[in-house]
Amino acid sequence: MSKRNWQHPAVPANETTVVWRGAGPLADIPAMHEWWAREFPQAATAMSDAGDAETTRRSFLKLMGASAALAGFGMAACRRPESHIVPYTKAPEWGIPGKATYYASAMPRAHGATPLVVTTFEGRPTMLAPNRLHPDASGTDAFAQASVLDLYSPSRSREILNSGKPATRTDLMAAISAIASNPSAKIGFLFAADDSPTRARLTKELAAKYQSSKFYQYEALTGESPKALGAGVKCLADFSKAERILSLDCDFVGTDPQGPVTPFFSGRKPEGNGYDTKADASKLNRLYVVEAAFSLTGGMADHRLRVAPGQVLLVAGQIARELGIFHAKGVNEVTDASQLAWIKALAADLKAHAGKAAVLTGSRQPAAVHHLALAINLALDNLGAGKPLAAMQTDTRDLGSLAALKAGIESGAVETLVLLTPSNPVYDAPSDLKFADSLAKLKTSIHLGERTDATAHAATWHIPAAHYLESWSDTRSARGTHTAVQPMILPLYQDCVSELELLLALLSDTGKLLNGEGEQGAPSPAYHAVRTTFAGLGGESETAWKKFLRDGFLADTAYPLITPEIAESAAADIADANIVTVKAGVPTKDALQVLFATDASVFDGRWIDNAWLQEAPDPISKLTWDNAALIAPKTAMELGIYDEIIATANARALASPDGEGPNRKSPVIQVMVNGRSLEIPVLVAFGQAEHTLVIPLGYGQGFDKDDEFKRGPSNESHVGLVGVNRGFNAYPLRTAATAYFATGATVQLTGKRYAVALTQEHHAMYGRALAREVSTLDADDGKGGFAAQLANVSKQGNDAHAPPNIYLYEPKGSALWHPGPDGKAQEFLSDPLHQWGMSIDLSACMGCNACLVACQAENNIPVVGKEQVARGREMHWIRMDRYFATQERFIDEDGKEKQTPEWVRDNPELVPQPVACMQCESAPCETVCPVNATVHTEDGLNAMAYNRCIGTRYCANNCPYKARRFNFFDYNKRNPLIAHNLYRGPLGVTAVGDPDHLQKNPNVTVRMRGVMEKCTYCVQRLTEAVIRQKRGPQQQTLDDGVPSTGMTVSNSTLRIPPDSVRTACQDACPAAAITFGNLLDKEQSVLGRSRHMDRGYDLLHYIGTRPRTSYLARVKNPNPAMPDAKFVGKATIHMG
Amino acid sequence: MANIFPRWTNQLPLKIAICAGSAVVGVALAFNYYATPKALAAGYQPAQPIPFSHKIHVDQIGLDCRYCHSFVEVSGHANVPPGNTCWNCHQHVQRESPKLAPLHQAMDPAYPGYDGKPIEWVRIHKAPDYVYFNHSAHLSRGVGCRSCHGNVHAMEVVSQDQPLSMSWCLDCHRAPENFLRPLEEVCNSGHDAQTYLTNNPQLGVTTPRELGLMLKERFKVKPKITCTTCHR
Repeated sequence: MSKRNWQHPAVPANETTVVWRGAGPLADIPAMHEWWAREFPQAATAMSDAGDAETTRRSFLKLMGASAALAGFGMAACRRPESHIVPYTKAPEWGIPGKATYYASAMPRAHGATPLVVTTFEGRPTMLAPNRLHPDASGTDAFAQASVLDLYSPSRSREILNSGKPATRTDLMAAISAIASNPSAKIGFLFAADDSPTRARLTKELAAKYQSSKFYQYEALTGESPKALGAGVKCLADFSKAERILSLDCDFVGTDPQGPVTPFFSGRKPEGNGYDTKADASKLNRLYVVEAAFSLTGGMADHRLRVAPGQVLLVAGQIARELGIFHAKGVNEVTDASQLAWIKALAADLKAHAGKAAVLTGSRQPAAVHHLALAINLALDNLGAGKPLAAMQTDTRDLGSLAALKAGIESGAVETLVLLTPSNPVYDAPSDLKFADSLAKLKTSIHLGERTDATAHAATWHIPAAHYLESWSDTRSARGTHTAVQPMILPLYQDCVSELELLLALLSDTGKLLNGEGEQGAPSPAYHAVRTTFAGLGGESETAWKKFLRDGFLADTAYPLITPEIAESAAADIADANIVTVKAGVPTKDALQVLFATDASVFDGRWIDNAWLQEAPDPISKLTWDNAALIAPKTAMELGIYDEIIATANARALASPDGEGPNRKSPVIQVMVNGRSLEIPVLVAFGQAEHTLVIPLGYGQGFDKDDEFKRGPSNESHVGLVGVNRGFNAYPLRTAATAYFATGATVQLTGKRYAVALTQEHHAMYGRALAREVSTLDADDGKGGFAAQLANVSKQGNDAHAPPNIYLYEPKGSALWHPGPDGKAQEFLSDPLHQWGMSIDLSACMGCNACLVACQAENNIPVVGKEQVARGREMHWIRMDRYFATQERFIDEDGKEKQTPEWVRDNPELVPQPVACMQCESAPCETVCPVNATVHTEDGLNAMAYNRCIGTRYCANNCPYKARRFNFFDYNKRNPLIAHNLYRGPLGVTAVGDPDHLQKNPNVTVRMRGVMEKCTYCVQRLTEAVIRQKRGPQQQTLDDGVPSTGMTVSNSTLRIPPDSVRTACQDACPAAAITFGNLLDKEQSVLGRSRHMDRGYDLLHYIGTRPRTSYLARVKNPNPAMPDAKFVGKATIHMG
Repeated sequence: MANIFPRWTNQLPLKIAICAGSAVVGVALAFNYYATPKALAAGYQPAQPIPFSHKIHVDQIGLDCRYCHSFVEVSGHANVPPGNTCWNCHQHVQRESPKLAPLHQAMDPAYPGYDGKPIEWVRIHKAPDYVYFNHSAHLSRGVGCRSCHGNVHAMEVVSQDQPLSMSWCLDCHRAPENFLRPLEEVCNSGHDAQTYLTNNPQLGVTTPRELGLMLKERFKVKPKITCTTCHR
């Protein structure tokens, strides 16, 4: 049964916060307590069904017998196997075997490229980190981190297809030559929404060569803002100048970026990014968010207003009205009293910070909202050089839309189409556009893509695309800086072609396609094209070019700023949108509003075959491997489906242990909207606007015979093992007019249930004051002002009563403790140079998955698949806990305690908290390991020697932070994505030789079955840094010409410089929420300074583990004039 | 009742115990002698595709270790030289030697059997996969090549000199003073501590051990013995 439980102290009597992770615990199902109390969720340690168990045991015995018999012949195992060292014949320049080489490159994206530093080992790119030199550096997000896996994806397209059938390269070359030799071809090009200077240049050349050529641009979810701002115009925020930020349905820290976000997070730290000043509330920015469902941005908000997506227009209009803006006249007034009070206080705050505020609009909002936001920003003087917002003109101005392309095809103006967009228009275009029909009418369509998706099969030709890490190109970052994209490796498969290579082939007279390399080992023709473009900007010199490649960008090449004006069509757009909004009305339970959301794992569907992203839990819903409709709990109750979802104390919940783990099945609802219907499982989402339904897009692209709902085989070849049978496709519900949200939806239960792999109760910690929060506001509840609350952070929960912990690394006096031979206190094994530590700033952490995916890439963490995740066996070393919290009662102005009003309780706070191994100095795991596989190192790490581990799992059982992960199967060797493969044991399909193994970091062990693993602060990076530092003195003697016997080496020569090593999670974090370093650097390092902040606290301090990772409490900066101000900033998390 | 067991069986349990005991001790001793790294690994001397003689190249010609193993001071791996390092000299020297056929095959486009494929040297010194040994960390702190690889400079055919077992690693990590050299001497195959001391009287030490202790103190060498030093 379960282990002995630590009895956490009682929750302090004056605590008013109610906390929950999922709906079940909120309802307080007794079975849940047992679930939490376990080391691993119950299902994790259970066998699968009896059939699996039987097969395994029998086959195990068979094999053991056979191998024992074979061992008798010849004792072959006793002889040392001969292995070879194979050096290069001609060693490449700069390649040092065993050492990583770093290159600056960038990942082209619709909202502006992500500048990167790529780690390569012997020519294999393995890991991505942000390029911090770049002016638009903004960390990386989970998508950027996971993109390296796409390069090695086993399901990556590698064959040329002709109408969906494998074709030869010769035939393709003939097709391309035919086009290239016909300058009168009616050719159209469909580009991605990113901006590449070389592509823009080639576009002009193509236009000159092909007289009747047309150029279009399409990505599925790029939004409506061009309609308001003008084609190719974007409006970006400089968050370092924004003191007040209003997001109108804009997830700018998540899936809808509006400029580099790192400065936004600096504005969430009252002590500044370097923790070098005293906490100062006036340094904090304030974020207001108006949105329908929780986004990462909404989770960061100081004040959040829940409204249906279609109602955002009214809120924007009301804000404009409060600010006296003309265009507000076209919009109906907001009548709800609590919303009005909220808007009035917000408008006053924006006005008071005119010129230092930014109003951002979600790209999915209609043009009218963009017009209003622009009007507000112009009225408040927020736009322009040196202001929080700047509008700029990109080079994508002259590109037509998908609708224009459709019209072109229908009218015969386009007969040949080259599709270069990473989106998948046959699958993801609005359904009423019927793009597939138009595509079929083309004479020739050439699709270039990394996946054999629906469009690849529908086009006449599909060419496998080279990954951006395999191709020469250039791109522009968010603000337009000319940025290099350089290849790390030749294309893995010989037929992979890059976008520029294809365009260059079409530009040439013969149409000869050269990909990867030019003729006779010359560089790819794309290289010369990129260099020509560069010469026009940065000059012809070799030095300038080399600097461009080294730094990854050319300075001072940002887009020119423009002064946008409110479009003439604004009044009409606003009036039209108002009519639509008024007609749709406030959503009701019989006419729900459906929000088609960008998914945090697959984006618009393009990442469906990326295993890291699929397994990364959705930051809000914690769902992996699928999508599900999300609905607010009260709406679910009104619709009568709440009990089905939660199964509170119903027969099903009691029959299965707790309705969790593999038993967790969500009811499937049928959604009717726009005259179409979709069956999709439903989950409860907190903080979502009532009467709205959120459906993430991008799933359901292909099914095979193993699909739970028997939807396959259908489109099986469109996806790989990762993307097959994943989720439900909501794109058919969208029309061009309702591309982002639709009204009038109805919902009914179907009686079916679908297994969902939710991680929210996995590795669930419990204890007192896990995450702590303070407010800059004195809210009359006895907690005092900002300073008093800060001073109280380290005493929250039960920490005020806990005796001080003993620092094990400084033996203090007493000879009684560890007397040495001389009777005196013995010197402990302790490194005088480095003592590692980490601090995590909850004020900056938004809960995205960048750290989680970066850790996976750096530390060779395997993917386990949906079935295993459902059992609680996911392997992520760093997990993102996500709590919802609200206040049960509050002290009103009359001094009496009252129940919190319902509108506040329905809009809880979202508190994310990343938890990895805490590297406890007094680690409970170490004392219970029977084989000393986990022991302490002298520099303060809780080491894990995999080769010693025998898998008793005592350590995980004893870890109060639940930071340890166990390899229940050989996830690296046996592909867990093949159905039942793991349970076939040695008879299963092995994954040895799969291309994704090339991504593995050679400096980290690939763990096998039966081994415990966990975070070790990226010890491979620490060791590398320390060894590099220790080489210094040797270099010094050589340089100085002094004999080494005469040199002086001190601690300062051997200690790595402060802040000179980064862990993978810290490196990836766009928010700089994770700080790592050497504690002995004290105040010289950011880490050292962060340790002495008032906000600092240790997780579960009172149990005396002395963790090396500490946390900084979250600070909320509420506006005192807001109706909910007194409820903000009090979410201290007590669990269990 | 008649005696079922004759009298001599009284001694039988003891005899069995003695026999079994000696068998166990014998197996243990034999295992220790024949089956541990010092027996299994040390002395491993496979044939190489090219019978490269370190004796000729180092002792006679006087090449430094780092001419071929060029990254040993900066990388964890002590690289085996790429074909072009050999070809630097051997496109001029000993061109006709039949022993160099594999090199010509890899490097010489004029050679009839040229295929440009690299030479596959047989690995001699092998740490297990879960050991992350770093050459540069040892060289930069004064551990000479010879401490681990033996007198390679005198070997016609290279063989493994030391067991490379974990306890062997720890022997040095616990008492590095027995092996430390001045940094200039790490790649000196002919280094002899006593001669070095005679030539450098200004150091003020007389015995190799004193020299080791002095260098340990001077370089602040404190080798770690916890797991993450080598395992991660």
